[in-house]
Amino acid sequence: MHVLLVEDDAVLADGLTRTLQGHGMQVELAGDGLQADLQLQRNPPQVAVLDIGLPGIDGFEVVRRLRARGDTTPVLLLTARDAVEDRVRGLETGADDYLVKPFATPELVARIRALGRRNAPKTGVLTLGNLVFDSGARRARIGDRPLELSAREWAVLEYLLQQAGRVVSKQQIIDTIAPWGEDLTLNAVEVYVSRLRLKLEGAGLALRTIRGFGYLLEAAPAA
Amino acid sequence: MSGIPSIRLRLLKWLVGPILIVNLGAAALTYLLAWTPAQLAFDEGLRQDAAALAARVRSGGAGAMGTVAPDNGAGEASWAALHDGAGRLLAGAPQLAAPPRTGLLDARLDGEPVRVAVAEAGGGMRVSLARTTRARQGVQAAIVRSLVLLEVLFSLALVGLVWFSVGNGLSPLARLRARLDARGSADLAPLIDAGMPRELLPVVGAFNALLGRIDAGARAQDEFRANVAHQLRTPLAGLRLQLEWLAARHADDPETCRSLELMLGANERMIRQTNQLLSLERAEPNRFARARLAPLDLSDLVAESIQAFVEQAASRDIDLGFELAPAQVEGDRFLLRDLVDNLVDNALRYTPRGGRVTVGCAALAGGGSVLRIEDNGPGIPPHLRDQVFERFVRLDEGTHGSGLGLAIVRDIASLHGAELTLLDAEGGGAVFTVAFP
Repeated sequence: MHVLLVEDDAVLADGLTRTLQGHGMQVELAGDGLQADLQLQRNPPQVAVLDIGLPGIDGFEVVRRLRARGDTTPVLLLTARDAVEDRVRGLETGADDYLVKPFATPELVARIRALGRRNAPKTGVLTLGNLVFDSGARRARIGDRPLELSAREWAVLEYLLQQAGRVVSKQQIIDTIAPWGEDLTLNAVEVYVSRLRLKLEGAGLALRTIRGFGYLLEAAPAA
Repeated sequence: MSGIPSIRLRLLKWLVGPILIVNLGAAALTYLLAWTPAQLAFDEGLRQDAAALAARVRSGGAGAMGTVAPDNGAGEASWAALHDGAGRLLAGAPQLAAPPRTGLLDARLDGEPVRVAVAEAGGGMRVSLARTTRARQGVQAAIVRSLVLLEVLFSLALVGLVWFSVGNGLSPLARLRARLDARGSADLAPLIDAGMPRELLPVVGAFNALLGRIDAGARAQDEFRANVAHQLRTPLAGLRLQLEWLAARHADDPETCRSLELMLGANERMIRQTNQLLSLERAEPNRFARARLAPLDLSDLVAESIQAFVEQAASRDIDLGFELAPAQVEGDRFLLRDLVDNLVDNALRYTPRGGRVTVGCAALAGGGSVLRIEDNGPGIPPHLRDQVFERFVRLDEGTHGSGLGLAIVRDIASLHGAELTLLDAEGGGAVFTVAFP
């Protein structure tokens, strides 16, 4: 995934670059707002990660110009101030998400991934652990072993993979896989997840239950 | 009261004292006005009786002296005597001395004061008629009694009126005090001077100027604190990422890893302290007044923070669960998130590894909503429960906490009119509940 990172603090910019690269992203760095504005036009990224407090023009202004051009590139704002006005203003200006510094790294990565998928074609191949999940071809395998899934299991796993690293609620799963008001109970979701858990054994994945709320799918820590 | 000058006492002293003195003078005058005519009337009666006796002596000789009754029938004793020009007693009561002149004079007879009228009876002879003054004394006593009674009543009434008037005159001061008393401890808004009497306006003005300076100082302090905290966040975020990257790179070197873990832990604590300083600032009552209140659902608020909770719980191997039902409250979204974050953080921090924490919220049957955080940690002994909500109090010196978390929770709960309680969980542990109206 191609990410444009706009951050003027050298230590944070460097750390973010390495971290995002470590998660397989291609990171392009801009140190101020005007440079960011140029790079957004010249080489549009899949996701822009923008600090609000920038030299030159600030993050709000960069987003405003971006949206004024009709550009829908997803934007994640980073802010050191968590004043109410900043948060609200950021989203009103057209940013898609915001994160207050200092953030937890898994949350940052998960949010960037979620934003990246928003504009990505639905046919992408998702990989996590040993699982390779090809939504275009509707084929999945664990290592070399093909994975057989029912339609509902497929939908649940696809959503969990898209949200990998983030806690998702059972209600969110229902809203995603049965958006047309089909009758799907919380218990049914539990059944699908427990079947998935069995089928994903050996995939190097951890599918954790968050008691009373939902699930969290992530790569199992190397033991 | 002693040593502190009182306007009321001063006014009373300067009003009541002179009034009493004037009153006393008026009473003395009234006494004279009432007593003198009575005295004159008594004297006139006595003089006429003496003249009549003298007339009888003049026509009938000394024998007429025998006609004087020792008692005039009005409770007064009388004596009469006739002396010649040389002062010799010719007839009558020997107790009466020879009169030095005609007219009226005072004397004592048989140990009692008497009034004596002396009249010329012809041939140098003088008739003395002495009469006790019992009736006069009676009248005098009656006058004095009435005057004293009246004066006491008048004086009391006047003092009462003065007291009331002084109180009435001072009532703007009392209203000003009541207005000041009714303010919240952090309300630094200027006093409104509408309706204040002219004499108080300079005082209110000076007071408002002082409030303004205090408010400006407090604001500058708040802003300084907020700025420092914000300035710290970016380097702390950078430091965290760099340390994480190093830790991943040296995962196979236990000694380096251990050192990096310690650094990451210290970094986390700095981040936490910084965030808490900021939320403490947000929970300042005078900021809250400006904050926007909106209808919110507690279950949404908890869900927003869930990612961070889950990661923190996982790192300590704690079974974190939720029992979330729709629970509407009216509140400031950011403050309430701070409240939820701090309560959950507190529970995760003080529950031992492998423990269990459950976060719940629900609407109450009788209106209002409740947030509930239960853990199966060591619990908090009853005698320490009031202390835990104080700033910088940590019950367990072994854990790294700022001692601010629960104080922030308490401040935010009270800003929202919510009731914060701490109880024992079934089977040990603590239950914090926040009941919103």
